[in-house]
Amino acid sequence: MDSYNGLNSEIMESLQGRYLLFNVEDRLYGVSLELVLEIIQVQTISKLPNVADYVKGLTNLRGKVIPVVDVRLKMNLPEKAYDDKTCIVVLDIRGTHIGLVVDSVADVTTIDTSKLSSLPLSGNTHQQILSSIIEMGDRVVINIDFERFFQDDISSLRGN
Amino acid sequence: MRTVEPGMEAMLETFIHETETMLAQLDEILLESEREKSLSNDHINDIFRITHTIKGSAAMMEFDGISTLSHAVEDVFYVLRSAPEKLLLVFNTLFDLMLATSDALGVELEKIQEEDEYVDSKNPELIGRLGKLADQLKNSKDAGKNVSDLEIVEKSAGTMPEMIEGLTYVRVFFDDNCQMEHMRAFMLMTQLQHHCDYLESIPANPESDSECCEQLIKDGFLIIFQPNISVEDVLKRIEDALNIKSYELLEAEIYVAPTHEKAAINLETEKTTDVAAATGSVTGKTPTKSGAVKQSLISVNQRKLDQLMDLVGELVTAESMVVRNPDLKDLRLDNFTKSIRELRKLTSELQDIVMSIRMVPLSGTFLKMERIVRDMNKKLGKQARLVTEGGETEVDKTINDAIVDPFMHMIRNAMDHAIESPEERLALGKPEMGTIVLSAHNIGGEILINLSDDGKGLNPDGILAKAKQKGLLTKPESEYSEREIFSLILLAGFSTNTEVTEYSGRGVGLDVVCKNIEMVGGTISIASEQGKGTTFTIKIPLTLAIVDGMNLSVGGTEFTLPITAITQLFKISDASQIIQGVDGAEMIMIRGECFPIIRLHEFFQIETEVRNILDGIIIQIENSDGGACIFADNLLGEYQVVVKPLPNFFNNQVLKEQGISGCSILGDGSISLILDTNSLLKHT
Repeated sequence: MDSYNGLNSEIMESLQGRYLLFNVEDRLYGVSLELVLEIIQVQTISKLPNVADYVKGLTNLRGKVIPVVDVRLKMNLPEKAYDDKTCIVVLDIRGTHIGLVVDSVADVTTIDTSKLSSLPLSGNTHQQILSSIIEMGDRVVINIDFERFFQDDISSLRGN
Repeated sequence: MRTVEPGMEAMLETFIHETETMLAQLDEILLESEREKSLSNDHINDIFRITHTIKGSAAMMEFDGISTLSHAVEDVFYVLRSAPEKLLLVFNTLFDLMLATSDALGVELEKIQEEDEYVDSKNPELIGRLGKLADQLKNSKDAGKNVSDLEIVEKSAGTMPEMIEGLTYVRVFFDDNCQMEHMRAFMLMTQLQHHCDYLESIPANPESDSECCEQLIKDGFLIIFQPNISVEDVLKRIEDALNIKSYELLEAEIYVAPTHEKAAINLETEKTTDVAAATGSVTGKTPTKSGAVKQSLISVNQRKLDQLMDLVGELVTAESMVVRNPDLKDLRLDNFTKSIRELRKLTSELQDIVMSIRMVPLSGTFLKMERIVRDMNKKLGKQARLVTEGGETEVDKTINDAIVDPFMHMIRNAMDHAIESPEERLALGKPEMGTIVLSAHNIGGEILINLSDDGKGLNPDGILAKAKQKGLLTKPESEYSEREIFSLILLAGFSTNTEVTEYSGRGVGLDVVCKNIEMVGGTISIASEQGKGTTFTIKIPLTLAIVDGMNLSVGGTEFTLPITAITQLFKISDASQIIQGVDGAEMIMIRGECFPIIRLHEFFQIETEVRNILDGIIIQIENSDGGACIFADNLLGEYQVVVKPLPNFFNNQVLKEQGISGCSILGDGSISLILDTNSLLKHT
């Protein structure tokens, strides 16, 4: 963990505006590279009883135990069996490490943040977790606000 | 912690650690001496040295409050040292005052650690009382005892004393305008003290008196020492020290000065630091108990130890990943197996060492309890003594820290409620002096601590009535066994004493004690006989970091059950052994006792194929409250697992209440969940 925090500002700066794109249910989502620690193949996930259904369990990331969350289930989408394209994106949300199961990882790209447009506000909580949208050629990328995304799970994120 | 200049943090940490250690020693000496009703010369010297060192280092850190207070104590003991017979005049006042001072110093230390903006308390009242005491001692002096006064006069005059054979005299001059000459002189003394059997300076205690700077500039700083290395080496060190302009070696004239007779004799008989302290020089050596072997100690940041512990845990896991590597399956590898055996020996040795580093003896905690008993005796007018056994028993530092508060509370309870007043005790035909016994034993993987008193004992009927009144009873009164009745006092909302006293009954009851003990994986049980006394039995694990566990599988999930909780494992061969309760609850009779069955797959809602009770395995578990049988699919074997907390993604408190206290990584990289027996049993 320390090695990530120890990243000097130069590297962090170079990550700004760079996004990891991933697919869920044939849609393209983006997450800022600043939050991404690494991408791993699906490995053994140990089930944890009495937790929300989108929490798939725990996995061992080189000696560190991290929770694994299925994005599909968290977004109320139908569950899909894991295949060889399924990946776990490990995020660092304010010091909490979380593994995110996505259908597949698409690309790492630089997004011109000035071209980001906000989503129309609606009462749908599903949409509140989406922070912005951008059109890149023929692709539409939706960015997720992961702090909101995990608001219900991580108590330290609440109240902001 | 207080904000300090960068670079000072390490010094501050050292200061706090050292001062804490010394205060603990001070308390120990005081309590021991008070019990024996005498204060030996060695102890007077020890106390003098401790306060002197605290004063010196506090002055260096610019904590004036601490420094002034310890200076006041030092004054008292300065007089006592030269005239120990006067001790009798002030014996009781002295001890009360000294313990109060030690507390005040402790409070200051805590403030330094906890408050962002540390403002020192001046404690004028304590200092005043100490000053009065010192005056009282000085004034009662008879004419023949004026030697020490002479000595003071002579030293502060800065004149050249008569030289003593065998000692080396060096006069040191500091750089012009280097500032703070007195602190530099002090630093020099600190540097030299490890190389000298005897070390003295003129002026004595330069660090405490910034006024002496001018004198230092004019006359230089005179150091008198007997080195334990060669004189040349010491001179070299002086030469290398910072801000030294020049130094001169003074030739010794060979005769013994009458005023230094005492020092000279001491020097011949025992070359200990006592002499150094007696003549007012610095000493940083920790005073060791007489007869104790000198240990070389090093203080380490606890965080580093935690990291080391983590790493060793990783190493153990990595090792089993190699050994149980699926690639090696069905291969015959004689040499490999041999090397692995060697490796395993080393890792387990490493593990033992790391564990032992974190272990601290319980004696420190016990000492605090003695202190409480002493104070409460005075306040409550009771007579009780604390007998401690097994203080050398070691537990993990974290656990040791966690049990101090609960024990304090229980001792207070015993003193306040259990032990009767001396008159009552005599009327009851008990010895006037009450006894509280605090004993600790290591019983393999666990520590057993007994706390028993010979006081009133618990009144089962009274407890039952009280519990009924508070609505804490869960079944008819007649069904409660004596043990269950005593356990009621551990419940939240139960407090037998209606009036609030200074020491106990402040709204926090034994339930807090119980919770604290459970937090470190311990259990508590009570036995009592009315009129004879009460015994609390507390079982705590040796360490929290590594657990001997039995691994079980339920569906796809693996669980680890701490072996200490397991009574037995068995398979049920005949379904008729199972008794069905009215609400569908299953029970089993084992040797005349009836235990509820917890089906883990139902409890945790895990899908599994093993649903027939005859197919799986039954594990009987027990804690002080009772027992139960756990039903799991399969037994995977016994493992030593490194306990890891669950990620903070989850609400750990909720999971713990649901019976999961942590997790651990197994040899194959998969994760097992560690079951918390106490919470599991609460659900039955």
